[in-house]
Amino acid sequence: MAMSKRQRAKVFRGVQYGVLIVAALLMAVFADWGKIQHAFLDLDVAAKLFPNIIIVALKNTIIYSALGFAFGLALGLVLALMKLSSVGPYRWIATAYIEFFRGVPALLVFIAFAYGVPTAFQLRFDTYSTVMLALGIVAGAYMAETIRAGIQAVPKGQIEAARSLGMSAPRTMITVVIPQAFRIILPPLTNELIMLTKDSSLIYVIGLAASERELTQFGRQAMNEYRGMTPIVIAGFLYLIITLPLGYLSRHLERRTGGKKVSVV
Amino acid sequence: MSEVFVEISGLKKSFGTLDVLKGIDVTVNRGDVVCIIGPSGSGKSTLLRCVNLLEEPNGGQIVVNGVELTDPDVDIDRARTKIGMVFQSFNLFSHLSVLNNLTVAQRKVLKRGEKEAQEVALRNLERVGLKEKANAMPAQLSGGQQQRVAIARALSMNPEVMLFDEPTSALDPELVGDVLGVMRQLADEGMTMLVVTHEMQFAREVADKVIFMDGGYIVEEGPAAEVIGNPQEERTKTFLRRVLDPTHHGPGDPE
Repeated sequence: MAMSKRQRAKVFRGVQYGVLIVAALLMAVFADWGKIQHAFLDLDVAAKLFPNIIIVALKNTIIYSALGFAFGLALGLVLALMKLSSVGPYRWIATAYIEFFRGVPALLVFIAFAYGVPTAFQLRFDTYSTVMLALGIVAGAYMAETIRAGIQAVPKGQIEAARSLGMSAPRTMITVVIPQAFRIILPPLTNELIMLTKDSSLIYVIGLAASERELTQFGRQAMNEYRGMTPIVIAGFLYLIITLPLGYLSRHLERRTGGKKVSVV
Repeated sequence: MSEVFVEISGLKKSFGTLDVLKGIDVTVNRGDVVCIIGPSGSGKSTLLRCVNLLEEPNGGQIVVNGVELTDPDVDIDRARTKIGMVFQSFNLFSHLSVLNNLTVAQRKVLKRGEKEAQEVALRNLERVGLKEKANAMPAQLSGGQQQRVAIARALSMNPEVMLFDEPTSALDPELVGDVLGVMRQLADEGMTMLVVTHEMQFAREVADKVIFMDGGYIVEEGPAAEVIGNPQEERTKTFLRRVLDPTHHGPGDPE
């Protein structure tokens, strides 16, 4: 029986679907769903987590991420401008900073920040400031490169037009270049925010009071209390509630600015 | 009686080892329209861009309205407010509405109030026939409209001289007329203008003086009727033949 190429492809695809269905059926029949659910999603335990996992943990994760992002953005902008500066030492400092903080694990930075910096410099920060600085210091290094790329992506003609109208170089940067650069880098910046939200889980190392716990730390604590993975699973879903919309937003922005670029150029 | 407004003498400019301008002397009287023509690579755009120091000259002197721009201590930002520039690629600020494109420099540089800046902007939009587009974004406009907005933006600074760098070269042919119309009107109102262009008809009808450049030198200059109508130099003749009658020349024709 000779089959055409198209018929062979059809049969082959049918076999693949068949295997998938059989695997799913086997799992459904043989897996001990009671046990699995007890381990990963015990509804009694889950019920006990609310509302604190929302009003304390989720809230703190959002606050920490937002603070870290805000500080990181400001720092990243300064570093990006330093990196593009005509003054050599500014460039060197910015480059060294970026390379260093992109190259070491964020967790190490947080540990250093929690235990080294306060004693070394005789500083005392409250938890929110510590988190903002620790997250921002690392995020700033990543964002600096993104912002620099955005600034360089602004067409040269925009700068020439601004200068020919009598704007000074700093005025041109503030009024024309930076607003346009941020439109260009909005999608990658949204991705940075997603990364930052996940990295905020690392701040458990600085030691958090009950009211300061974020999702991961809250989940670990609850896990010790109730046994089983349920709190971690719920925490995971709550991260997704933050990150999935951000991811969607990022893709949406990318499509929009992508389309716009074509019509402008 | 005509007063010298732009005086360029011995202007030299090179990019790396490439000498683009090899000693240029130009005088423009107040109220005159000077058109600069020539083949691509002849240095005409570079010359124009030197007049507001978008390109830094390597030698020579540029004096605009009594201010020596080539003086290292010149306040170039202040000088540029008096020198309007229109680019081939329009260069409207893509993140600002048409109205804000016209007001932003008035407010940030000339420190005009919001209300005054808007009045000036709307008056200039009316001059170029685009008052109804005040709230549009640049991307929503045709090329011809964008270029007219760009002219209005430059005019909103009340410049004393306008530089046009191939203002119609990026436009669809049917939109060229709108922009040239605005420029002609501006010339009629007595604006001092330096125009780099390939529009020979415009140069012939509007220019008080035409300069033909080639290879970084001024080859020939004079009234439009003479330079375009009765060129003396061989290079000018060849260039004009190619521009005015492009279909009658094969690619391999001798210079």
